[in-house]
Amino acid sequence: MTPGDNTAKQSDAIPSEFEGAGKYVYCIIRLERSRDFGEIGIGGGARVYTVTHKDLAAVVSDTPIVIYDPTRENVLAHEFVNETVMREFTLIPMSFGTVFRSEKDVLALLNSTYQAFTDVLEKMQDKIEFGLKILWDRDKVVAAIERDNDEIRRLKDEITRNAASSTYFARMQLGRLVEAAMEEASNRYVTDVHEQLKDVSVASRSNKVIGDRMILNAAFLVDRNAEKPFDERVKAISRQYEDLLTFKYTGPWPPYNFVTIKLKLEKAT
Amino acid sequence: MGLLSNILLAPFLGPIYGTRWTLDKVDRVVREQLTDDTPIKEELMELQLKLETGEIDDPEYLRREAEIMQKLRDVRDWREKFGMSTSGGPVRVAEDDETE
Repeated sequence: MTPGDNTAKQSDAIPSEFEGAGKYVYCIIRLERSRDFGEIGIGGGARVYTVTHKDLAAVVSDTPIVIYDPTRENVLAHEFVNETVMREFTLIPMSFGTVFRSEKDVLALLNSTYQAFTDVLEKMQDKIEFGLKILWDRDKVVAAIERDNDEIRRLKDEITRNAASSTYFARMQLGRLVEAAMEEASNRYVTDVHEQLKDVSVASRSNKVIGDRMILNAAFLVDRNAEKPFDERVKAISRQYEDLLTFKYTGPWPPYNFVTIKLKLEKAT
Repeated sequence: MGLLSNILLAPFLGPIYGTRWTLDKVDRVVREQLTDDTPIKEELMELQLKLETGEIDDPEYLRREAEIMQKLRDVRDWREKFGMSTSGGPVRVAEDDETE
């Protein structure tokens, strides 16, 4: 909303056009009473509270009708609310930036999607998500491969010994062998990590890797009771690979990667 | 006569059709590039990772984040111009909603 808009509407402002009339929705929980989560909302600490319909509640804060950029600040505010709510409730996270024009529109969402929300809340009861990204240090992995792979070591020695006479072909072949060995190593690490986390998690999902150092970008759905064993297992694996791999372990999160409800929403103009 | 006119006109028709086809294709490619925010979102995730791993510092992060936000806004504007769906902004439950 630009200052110009404000001036234009100043004289005949109607309630529905009021700046704070919009509702930013963070998540859906099961709760029949209303509840206040404090001034922790997006856009500089708006009050976070609930809009309830039967036994479902949308966790919201008031907002002007704006499009929120996914800046770190905004995304952290969104996540912080969900983290706070998650301490007490099983929740279905909403996509970042979902703004409804009014409380009535939020109630319409709860009403029209009541059954799907209820089913998913049932399935996600006491489940939390952990993120695990694994990065590798290319140089270290290559060094390990050269140490362990006889064929590569021999070829490399040969090339270094006869630097002047070693052929382009031999170098190409070495490159190809190293490349293949690295891919094989990456698959081996990833499979091993998944294998070791299998009995302490309910499900896992692999996302696209980011950048050129990442070999795994996964989310794990974990039972709240299994949080500690999962945690310990991740730490044990990261110790096992500490010379080669860097583990980025985050959570607990709401089950962002395991809940997909296609909401039939349209643009409100 | 028909054949002859085809042959005679061919050099003129040819390039015209050719150009139009190319423009359509360029238009489609450009449109896809203008309206696809996937690479921009990947860029943002990569930037966050760089901050986490200490490759860049905070001021650098904020500077580049601002650039990426601008790109996302541009994509959103183009999507609106082409009448495509956008994420973020005010929404409501679609009125022709059917319960499944």
